[in-house]
Amino acid sequence: MSRHAILTGDDHAQLRVRTESSAELGDAVMASLTVPIEFRRIQHNFPILFRKDIETGRFSALALLGFENGENLFLEGDRWDAEYKPLAMAIQPFLVGRPAAGDGPSQVHIDLDHPRVAAGGEGVLLFDSAGRPTPYLERIGEMLSELDEGYRASEAFFAALERYDLLEPFFLDVELKNGSKHRMVGYHLINEDKLRELEPGAIAELHTGGHLMPIFMALASLSNLSGLIARKNRRNSDV
Amino acid sequence: MVKSVKRIVIAGGGTAGWLAACRLAAWSRAEGRPLDVTLIESTDIPAIGVGEGTWPTMRETLALIGIDEAEFLLASDASFKQGSRFDGWGDGSAGEHYFHPFTPPPPARDPRQLVACWTASPERSYASVMTSQEAVAAADLAPRQRSMPPYAGALNYAYHLDAGKFVALLRRHAVQRLGVQHLDDRITSIEACDSGDISALSTASGHRIEGDFFIDCTGHAALLIHGHCGSGWVDRSAELFNDRALAAQVPVDPCSPVASQTVSTAHRAGWIWDIALPGRRGIGCVYASSFMEDSEAEEVLSEYIASAIPEAGAIQPRRLAFPTGHRARFWDRNCLAIGLSSGFVEPLEASAIVLVELSLNALIDNFPSNRATMPLLANRFNDLFSQRWERIVEFLKLHYVLSERAEPYWQAHRDPVTFPDRLAGLLELWKEQPPSAYDLPLAEEIFPAASYQYVYFGMGGAAPRSLPTPAPAMIAQLDQVAQRGRSLLAALPTNRAYLDALNGDARRLLEGRA
Repeated sequence: MSRHAILTGDDHAQLRVRTESSAELGDAVMASLTVPIEFRRIQHNFPILFRKDIETGRFSALALLGFENGENLFLEGDRWDAEYKPLAMAIQPFLVGRPAAGDGPSQVHIDLDHPRVAAGGEGVLLFDSAGRPTPYLERIGEMLSELDEGYRASEAFFAALERYDLLEPFFLDVELKNGSKHRMVGYHLINEDKLRELEPGAIAELHTGGHLMPIFMALASLSNLSGLIARKNRRNSDV
Repeated sequence: MVKSVKRIVIAGGGTAGWLAACRLAAWSRAEGRPLDVTLIESTDIPAIGVGEGTWPTMRETLALIGIDEAEFLLASDASFKQGSRFDGWGDGSAGEHYFHPFTPPPPARDPRQLVACWTASPERSYASVMTSQEAVAAADLAPRQRSMPPYAGALNYAYHLDAGKFVALLRRHAVQRLGVQHLDDRITSIEACDSGDISALSTASGHRIEGDFFIDCTGHAALLIHGHCGSGWVDRSAELFNDRALAAQVPVDPCSPVASQTVSTAHRAGWIWDIALPGRRGIGCVYASSFMEDSEAEEVLSEYIASAIPEAGAIQPRRLAFPTGHRARFWDRNCLAIGLSSGFVEPLEASAIVLVELSLNALIDNFPSNRATMPLLANRFNDLFSQRWERIVEFLKLHYVLSERAEPYWQAHRDPVTFPDRLAGLLELWKEQPPSAYDLPLAEEIFPAASYQYVYFGMGGAAPRSLPTPAPAMIAQLDQVAQRGRSLLAALPTNRAYLDALNGDARRLLEGRA
């Protein structure tokens, strides 16, 4: 369930948001949406995979956090065990909204039913006693615009990948130390061979469009898969 | 054959006695050094129980003892203390106050830099430029969030606590978890060997407890250190005049804000403490009997309570008379005095419990493993704590000497004849340079230079005549303090919200078990 509202200093003067990490606050997810302008930060910790929406045929990028639904291997109890938290998770329970009529300036919306919206007196205030946004809300605002901009830019990114047929379906067989096997299906990744065979003109075009860097970041991010499997093995052996 | 120290006997079971028992027993376990710790207390002798404010040192003490912070907060009805606010100490006009926070200014090699930055915004207080703690405490906020590791804070902090409940927690912890022997009995005689060392204590019900080392926590009675060892009393009442207190406890609405600082309000012949716990406020009137009758003090206290807590009914304050001073020798032969038996001074900067902690640190860091090391260690301890008492008297007196209040009591405080040794010289020096670490050259100073700065400038001490140009790096650091302050004001819960959430979780846990 969600209940979206436009955030205002008048309506939400006393509202507090819980900013710590935990499953009950919605962090137990196996993947987080990400956008190409964020890949540089994502590739340091997480594998980046792509997924095609069957209905719309559109691609999106995901930072992989676990191998099963509800499994986040970067969530250690109530501790976020990575230097970075993907923007799409860090902005919760906020989202970018637009006025009903047309394409006006974006607004900050909040999902009032999100578990991060605090019931008691703990959590971070969004507005100070004078009704100005707190540093936390300022930071949220920056992250929301970055994410919004990133979504808009990702259309061109995926169009370019499709133009050069650089995305290929991919499955991953994960075999764990305890002998269990998991097959991950339904993902795409960038075909490195095709990338290498591209004409200089095509490479120049990708470069001019700002797509080359995220492509390489996504490729580099796959080295995190072994780390993620190691986390999974560690967690299994803890149980 | 040198006699080794294995059996520790603690006489008296107030805050001092049980802290001593816990620290020694926990240390003996941690070090794998076998010590038998026995505490003898007579529970029919009431504890004084006005020591209800701690210093930030208490966090480390509790961690060393092995008590979890949440358990401590719940069991002691405790709350957070982030400093002291002094109301009416300047000229006594309405609304006049200053704050002495626990959080120091950002590090500066030359404290004149700090003062130079402060004087650039003359409308603000020194403390409010140096740390956001004043604003955080003014909003009744806690210094930490529950998701932070125990005993860690966004700002430096201590506690307000219910001394009776705190002692009960320490007693339980010492006996049940740390193996301290507990004897509820009245000490009737002290046995000594030929050397004059104490060898055993006998009790009313016929027990005889032998020991190698004795700790006197018998309060003002000073049964061992004075009664047996004859260590004299160094009177300091010529410098600090207060010798009476009226202590009251006023229940509060369970939804009311819980203040994050001790409020000390000056009156015409002393001051009033106001310490907020979740369920009550401890309010007391400290005064000098040579300047104020008991009945006048009662009126002063009643007026304060009536205006602070209008719904409070009539109160029956407890009357206390206290000497101001300390022992000539704190450690004599094989006996060490800790707590009120070693000295007492008005609780203006909550120095009672911290002195207990510092005494225990000094004892444990230099533990007399055998009798032969005791004379040297005792001399060293006595020197250190004589110096510490000098500092306490000096620092407390600093609170009075810059006042512009006109009453005879306050005028008497400003008479240089009543100043402790160094103070007149320091006040002269501070016209040229701010209080600094150079003023406090001991290895382990009890109050940091920052405290002297907060009180000196808070009381209206003028900035030195010549100051350097503020360095850009210093300005940037203080801007960061202000920025971080904005974040903290938004992110910290109120004391009440923090304690309610803690209580709620504890209740759910209990119900879950039931």
